[in-house]
Amino acid sequence: MTAPARSLPLSLAVAEAAPRCQDELVVGAETNYALMSQVQGLAFDRTVPLNVSLELTLNCNIRCLHCYNLDRDLPQGACHDRSGAPDTRPDLSLDEIMRVLEELRDAGCLFLTLSGGEVLTYPHLYAVLDRARELNFAVQLLTNGTMLQPGVAGRLASYRNLLGVSVSLYGATADVHDGITQMPGSWKRTWDGAERLRAAGIAVRLKFIVMRPNAHQVEEMRAQAEARRFAYLVDVTITPRHDGTRGSLETRVREDQLAALYRGPLRDLLPTGKLPVTEERFPCNCARGNCAINVKGDVHPCVSVPWAAGNVREQRFADIWQTSPVFQRIRGLRIADYEACAPCPDKPYCSRNRGASFNYSGSYTGTDPFVCRSAALTREAVTAGAPDAPRD
Amino acid sequence: MSAWRRDAELPFQKLAEETIVVDPRRREVHLLNETAARIWELLASPQSLDELTATLGDEYDVGESELREAVAECVAGLEGKGLLVAAGTR
Repeated sequence: MTAPARSLPLSLAVAEAAPRCQDELVVGAETNYALMSQVQGLAFDRTVPLNVSLELTLNCNIRCLHCYNLDRDLPQGACHDRSGAPDTRPDLSLDEIMRVLEELRDAGCLFLTLSGGEVLTYPHLYAVLDRARELNFAVQLLTNGTMLQPGVAGRLASYRNLLGVSVSLYGATADVHDGITQMPGSWKRTWDGAERLRAAGIAVRLKFIVMRPNAHQVEEMRAQAEARRFAYLVDVTITPRHDGTRGSLETRVREDQLAALYRGPLRDLLPTGKLPVTEERFPCNCARGNCAINVKGDVHPCVSVPWAAGNVREQRFADIWQTSPVFQRIRGLRIADYEACAPCPDKPYCSRNRGASFNYSGSYTGTDPFVCRSAALTREAVTAGAPDAPRD
Repeated sequence: MSAWRRDAELPFQKLAEETIVVDPRRREVHLLNETAARIWELLASPQSLDELTATLGDEYDVGESELREAVAECVAGLEGKGLLVAAGTR
């Protein structure tokens, strides 16, 4: 039986839609935003793990105060799960990672994000990149940029499947940034690394994490990026750590800082109005188009939500993706299941940051008071000066 | 006769019937519809227009001249976007 005639031209139709989370904002694809939204929407609708983040190592050469992985001031080698119990499982071996890459490819992954720790400390990074190229993944790297010595950027640029690199930056001046990383000289090394990447032809996106020590520099950070013509993202949400410790929360911006930021330097990045709150739009991409695999092989709904759905040492990735009760649970959630959110009037202004909410409350449907206040402050900033609604 | 193959280093993935192709150098993303995706699949190895038309002729209920014209248009589109490389003559 023959198939009916079908049109042959390339389909480049576009659809405008806001991203469900930052994981959808693929480095280097900003100019294709509308088409990327359509592609991400297809993955979401069809439950295809198009975006997977693979954590290659927890090792890092800096000791950020806000690190979401673990408390970097604890003795080296101390790795704990969310309950605080020691996690003595070995990291995934290179052989295991190679197998997982093939499983991800077969399951439908295209956008593969390699992260750490500091990904450039991983001794087998280039072996992983070689295999990712063979398997036609579009790769993104997340890095602090400090290890991008001359030669490294050029080697990375030889990977034509490298979409881009996200470089984290925490201040407009060395003293602020270096105070957060606890590594003197890191601010300059990060900027130098970003410039080397770009000189090598690699798309770079800076990621500004806004926190208490650098909140006063947000305007300057943005101005520096714009003056040097770097794309950037801004994130104000610091979460409790995946090892269960909460010291990172001490770096969160205070409410008065956040309110001032939303009225001032970040005002233009806020939504211009209410976000749609429907059963179709309320879920994020967790367990639908996104997931993450940590260094121990645990599969999580996304990099920010360390809720293990299974482990790739024990099960094939596709089996976890398709049958895990954790993922099934997430996919079946309705707005009413988010007990605190369901009646909240600020939903149209809320990012509903799942990572913050999960790490703070221990529940995927829980809340984090910071996220709630952020939504309220967003509403206040967005509606300030707006004409009153007509009254009867 | 000229032959082409897809650029082996470009990231791509099937997404149900469509295929997404990414060109990091040009910062472009392409979403190929079902038929273009089938041509992309065939171009894993060098193919001439005659070969592509013959293969697709067995799969689609379309007249040969119409099919050949459509295949040529699709290949030209893919080549114009830098997704194919010349693979000599066959």
